[in-house]
Amino acid sequence: MTLRLKRQSFADDCTLIMAIVNRTPDSFYDKGATWAEEAAFERVRLVVEQGAEMVDIGGIKAAPGAEIGVAEEKARVVEFVARVREAFPDLVISVDTWRAEVADAVCAAGADLINDAWGGVDPELVDVAAAHGAAVVCTHTGGVTPRTRPYRIEYEDVVRAAIDDTVAYAERALAAGVARESIIIDPAHDFGKNTFHSLELTRRLGEMVDTGWPVLVSLSNKDFVGETLDLPVGERLTGTLAATSVCALAGARVYRVHQVIETRQTVDMVWAIAGRRPPARAIRGLQ
Amino acid sequence: MTRVVLVPGCLALHPRYASRVDPVADLRAACQEAVSWLGQTPEIVAGTQGQDIARALLETRTSVADHGAERSFLVVANGSACRTEKAPGYLDPRAEAFDKELGAALRGPDPEAIRAIDPVTAGELWADTTGLPALADLLEGARTVDIGYEDAPYGVQYWVARWSTP
Repeated sequence: MTLRLKRQSFADDCTLIMAIVNRTPDSFYDKGATWAEEAAFERVRLVVEQGAEMVDIGGIKAAPGAEIGVAEEKARVVEFVARVREAFPDLVISVDTWRAEVADAVCAAGADLINDAWGGVDPELVDVAAAHGAAVVCTHTGGVTPRTRPYRIEYEDVVRAAIDDTVAYAERALAAGVARESIIIDPAHDFGKNTFHSLELTRRLGEMVDTGWPVLVSLSNKDFVGETLDLPVGERLTGTLAATSVCALAGARVYRVHQVIETRQTVDMVWAIAGRRPPARAIRGLQ
Repeated sequence: MTRVVLVPGCLALHPRYASRVDPVADLRAACQEAVSWLGQTPEIVAGTQGQDIARALLETRTSVADHGAERSFLVVANGSACRTEKAPGYLDPRAEAFDKELGAALRGPDPEAIRAIDPVTAGELWADTTGLPALADLLEGARTVDIGYEDAPYGVQYWVARWSTP
């Protein structure tokens, strides 16, 4: 299905790299490297240069920590979105937030997509997205409260649960007026899930793709990679790219990442192996 | 008038081997221009693989001229594949002279010189000359209309040529 992210449309054979841009002092991977506005802006410039089709700007880290209210979250992201929009008119801007009020402000400032990583806890978020003609990412968290860690959560079938919840969320977004081609689903690796759950979601990602909704995967340097390989943050790129390959083979369309170049090469390679993308330039043996 | 076109059996010309960036864009353009000059149902002169390339080129024509009952021929052949160290058949010092001789015979055209091409040497140089005897027969009394391409971009010598006979 063609994907429409407000100002840009992408044909169904396109994959998209969504580069993470944290306006946080404490996110797990970059540990505040782009907390300062100028550093965050330089990060946007860099990932655009590296070929990312979109950025995902977030003002609150996913893990538990100091309470960040609506006003503080808006202070971190709204003006920044406006600045990025002005500097990069064609860039798809996503904002990682679960709050409708924040979503409303960033959409007014130029965001195209709301990445609701916490599975629709704010029921008005889809109304805001619809009102702005924005796209929305519908994630599965198993119903946990935002910014909480999974604790002894079990599923009868984690993939079934992820499909049921994300598709229900997608239908809710559709009913609220979000365009069908502007809705993405995301199994949300590690959110409300242990490592075994995230591995199974990766292994069976094709079942999510089979729903027909475009699938986003957010795998980058996450704990399920670290626990699987017994590696700390900073040494998880190879494991991330292995998981990326499996998701790409299954047909995931959007990849939320820290490393743009490595992910783009991995996805393009797998897409070509899957027969969905011609080689860049093949002549060997064909002269 | 009879129209005769020569194209190389370069597999990269076939749509099933398409890349995002065409590695033989110039060659393809020359081939397309030449085959568009042929009539509606040209007779193909080629080996098995060459026939496949010829059919693909004819199927992807954007325009087809109506030349009535005129006969036309699409011949598939090419020179050596040993022009450089990176060439499929590696560098063979005889390759350049072989291609030069064949190129001169085609440009003439000189049917006798085309017939004189040694098939053993051609085989050793990985040249596709299966269609050359038939081409020589077709070129009796012909004049060269155009040499649209003459190069060895990947160590393989290609020509795209057009001839006509009264």
